[in-house]
Amino acid sequence: MTKSKGIPMFSPNRRTFLQGMGAAGLAGAGLMPRSAQAATSMKFMCWEGYDSPDIIKPFEEANDVSISIDLITDSPGGFAKLAAGAWRDFDVVATDSPWVQRMGPAGIGEFLDDAEFADVYDSFYPQFRAPFEPLNFEGKTTGLPTRWGWVGPTVNTKYDKLESWRSYAPCFDPAYKDKICVLDWGDWPIMPMALYAGIDPYKELDDAELNEIRLVLRALFKNTRAIVGDLSVAQKGLMDGSFRTLIGGGTYCTSALRKDGQKEIMSIVPEPKDGLKQGIIWMEAGGIVKDPVDDAKAKALLRDLTSPEVAVKLAWTEATCNLVPSQKAEALFTDEQKDVLQMDYMWEAWDKSHFHNVAPNIDQMLEIWSQELAAAR
Amino acid sequence: MVSPIIKASGIEKYYGTYRALSDISLEVANGEFLALVGPSGCGKTSLLKILAGFEDLSAGSLVIDGKDMAGIPASARPTRMVFQKLALFPHKTVAQNIGFPLHLAKRPKSEIDTAVRRMLELMHLKESYLNRFPHELSGGEQQRVALARSMVSQPPVLLLDEPMSALDAKLKKSLQAELKHLHRHVGTSFVHVTHDLEEAMMLADRICVMRAGRIVQLGAPSEIYYRPADAFVAGFIGDTNLLPAKVTRVGEGFRFSCEILDCTEPLLSADQVAPGVAAGGDAALMIRPEMLRLLPQGENAECTIVGTVNEYFIRGASIQYRIAAAGTEIVMDIPGTSTLPAKQGDAVRLGLALGDLFAVGA
Amino acid sequence: MRLSTLPLLLLMGLFFVIPLIMTALLSFQGTQYYRLVWTWDLKVWTDVFSQVHYWTIMWRTLVMALICTLLCTVLAIPIAYGMLHRLSRWSDHITLLMVFAFLTDAVLKTFGWVLFLDRSGVLNGTLEAIGFPAASVNVLFTPNATMIGMVYNLLPYTIFTVALSMARIDGDLVLAARDAGASRLRAFVEVTLPLAKPGIWAGAVLVFVLSLGVFLEPKVMGGGTSPLAAELIRQSFETRVNWPLGAALTLVLIVIGAAALTVFGAVALWQARRVAND
Ligand SMILES: Nc1ncnc2c1ncn2[C@@H]1O[C@H](COP(=O)(O)OP(=O)(O)OP(=O)(O)O)[C@@H](O)[C@H]1O
Ligand SMILES: [Mg+2]
Repeated sequence: MTKSKGIPMFSPNRRTFLQGMGAAGLAGAGLMPRSAQAATSMKFMCWEGYDSPDIIKPFEEANDVSISIDLITDSPGGFAKLAAGAWRDFDVVATDSPWVQRMGPAGIGEFLDDAEFADVYDSFYPQFRAPFEPLNFEGKTTGLPTRWGWVGPTVNTKYDKLESWRSYAPCFDPAYKDKICVLDWGDWPIMPMALYAGIDPYKELDDAELNEIRLVLRALFKNTRAIVGDLSVAQKGLMDGSFRTLIGGGTYCTSALRKDGQKEIMSIVPEPKDGLKQGIIWMEAGGIVKDPVDDAKAKALLRDLTSPEVAVKLAWTEATCNLVPSQKAEALFTDEQKDVLQMDYMWEAWDKSHFHNVAPNIDQMLEIWSQELAAAR
Repeated sequence: MVSPIIKASGIEKYYGTYRALSDISLEVANGEFLALVGPSGCGKTSLLKILAGFEDLSAGSLVIDGKDMAGIPASARPTRMVFQKLALFPHKTVAQNIGFPLHLAKRPKSEIDTAVRRMLELMHLKESYLNRFPHELSGGEQQRVALARSMVSQPPVLLLDEPMSALDAKLKKSLQAELKHLHRHVGTSFVHVTHDLEEAMMLADRICVMRAGRIVQLGAPSEIYYRPADAFVAGFIGDTNLLPAKVTRVGEGFRFSCEILDCTEPLLSADQVAPGVAAGGDAALMIRPEMLRLLPQGENAECTIVGTVNEYFIRGASIQYRIAAAGTEIVMDIPGTSTLPAKQGDAVRLGLALGDLFAVGA
Repeated sequence: MRLSTLPLLLLMGLFFVIPLIMTALLSFQGTQYYRLVWTWDLKVWTDVFSQVHYWTIMWRTLVMALICTLLCTVLAIPIAYGMLHRLSRWSDHITLLMVFAFLTDAVLKTFGWVLFLDRSGVLNGTLEAIGFPAASVNVLFTPNATMIGMVYNLLPYTIFTVALSMARIDGDLVLAARDAGASRLRAFVEVTLPLAKPGIWAGAVLVFVLSLGVFLEPKVMGGGTSPLAAELIRQSFETRVNWPLGAALTLVLIVIGAAALTVFGAVALWQARRVAND
């Protein structure tokens, strides 16, 4: 997702800048301890969670590699970085599926042979088996799915009934004025609002349709209390009722709260409106960056990330908990974990949702977003 | 003394537990010029700051111009201070500096202007300086601007904290003369701290000698110079010879014996003995260098000292000799002459009048 | 020009001029498919000059920066003065506390403020406990909260520069003013303030430059609803992956900042002429 994953801020701030400087200084002086003087060293660009030592350490030991991590703070930013030439340095990437899918056509990713990964697909839920359209480019596979969830209203049932959020209508209800939190995660809050306005944002849009999106955002901002980039601030507001919902969020925002026992907090997807599905499925995927140092080991890392054992770890991290495509992993979750992940609801959500992709008109939508935001106050 | 302008009684000053001033009682007459002298750290600045209102006093009372100064801030006191480092405002012009007290008093512009020009004239400063900044003036000129600023509003009391210590001798001399002239001219009372004895003697009506936070002697310059209260005052004020002696009371006067000094009749009258000298015992005979003279062959004096010339310094108006006599070095100043009366190594006899001797406690 | 200034010039060139030139060159390129394309056209610039909202945000940034600079300066003067003169006994402790606060991660401090100012936060809880109505301070997620955060995070810069220049003033000058009949306030206005001006200006310039680039405060404390220039630039670079646009907006911000500084500088120079450097 285009989002902050529990780290306080996802963009350069004084601290990360200084840390960066320090690290650069150390590395320059040759003082950075290489994790191991292994035969192969690989570079892995990923979201937080994939970098867990629980996952990386065993893989390094089993495969005699050392992995250096580059955390993504913004999916398009990560893609742009690779596209600008960093692909030469990287071997494996785990990011939002649309961006993995785009690496193939952009000439910065390796295609995968589905047959080679047949056993992996066999361990997946049927919905994710080859040929898996969302990661396909002209019949060729660009990556393997790793984590997923849905985007929809996040509800604290202490304050609201789930039924109230069968639609995004409360976002525009004066009764909810100053109670709506919009997540400042790029395209994520825009997509559901477009859907609510009756527009499928994933197809090419004309000016009239873009104008509809403008109007719906303008209306949304009227009721919005804050546009929040940080997950913990959003979660805090959801818990204390000052935010009744988080627009642009979903399971990604609520699972960690449910893990902490706050089962009254849930993510749902709204009912289809005028025949248009209102939910969105997001997915992360792993792909191999063009010309990896060691092709076999890059593939091994992909296999590792999709294996049931690692999938469970990937699903269950500090900051957020998420679903995984591995059906075999389901048996490894406890009932409590399944409840936290709202597994009983997942296929209903799936059925009522679009699959997230990069919208053709996203840049115009983002521009509209900032225009409306600038005019809002 | 008609009602004094300053009346300090029993002033004490503590900085934490350190006692900087003890039992300072002092009166300054209206229009008087008082010089405050004493070694470094004896409390001169502390006393001035108490008078000016920059420091509270720990005990005692202070009355200036008939008003008790307890609780009265510096800004409301009839005193004005000239600081050691002058403290001219660097961001204000000469005119603004001088006129500052009047400016604060919200006097009309024309009045300030007239007063500033009057001070300028009094201080022999050029009118073209008015729009200069302090750093564009020489040290002596800055000095005069500082004086002008302190006097422009004609304060009853002027406090000066060694304002001339940084100046060269010649400039100092001319400023001293000006200060004396001003004092006569404006009728303000001055309390003037200085390290320079000559300056104190030249300017002051009375000199107050301090030591370790106490007043040791307060009196006219001649009194301080010729009749010091003790060996400390005698030694502090100018070059002096202090010769160890034994004294015994004989009637009204004292008989004395001194190894170095050979007197025809070793007797001192009562006013030649400081009050602190015991009726019998050790004392020091003070002989100012200028009281001694070289005795030509065959001539005699009431008292004589025999010795050898160690060194001499030709100082223009005078010649200073340093003469070894019975293990002590004697300093003698004689009027300058073009031919040296004695050279290094010469055996000499020095003479002085018995009446010039003064005994202080040892 | 002397040879000894050469290393300095090289350094400045390396760290300032070259990146600036590169930014300028970048602004004439285009983007396609999230990748930079070398087009050499004015598209981005026509975009910048035709979109009102960029200027709304730039203007807002400038106004916020000026207000912040004013507040920091106005607050720093009495605080610095008090530290040096009224609380001189505690000034070491105060300085230490300030240094600690200053060195504490800005992210943590800013989030601390969120917890403090929230409707259900510490401040409102305390106020409620002493009888005020619930949530009486409703400032979080408003531009006022942004300003609180900015002033809080930038105030130490002004306090330190002002205190530094005040500490260098000869204490006798203030005494001399008092002696001449000035009240404490008058002495402060006539002597301390004009002599501290270099420090006050330096602090103001520093805070102004820093506040043009604030990022965390509007986002976290301001609730993101009134974004400032840094957020706009971040969005262009990161979310929209439109580097030429980001570069152009960066240049706009630099020019606005430089223009404001030029005005600052002219005023300061005029002041300095009056405050003869002693
Ligand atoms: N603010 C202060 N705190 C503590 N002690 C002080 C303070 N001011 C002066 N003293 C001490 O009090 C004593 C008297 O100081 P003061 O400045 O009055 O001396 P002074 O006679 O003016 O010496 P000088 O001739 O060197 O100027 C000194 O021992 C000094 O160290
Ligand atoms: Mg002194």
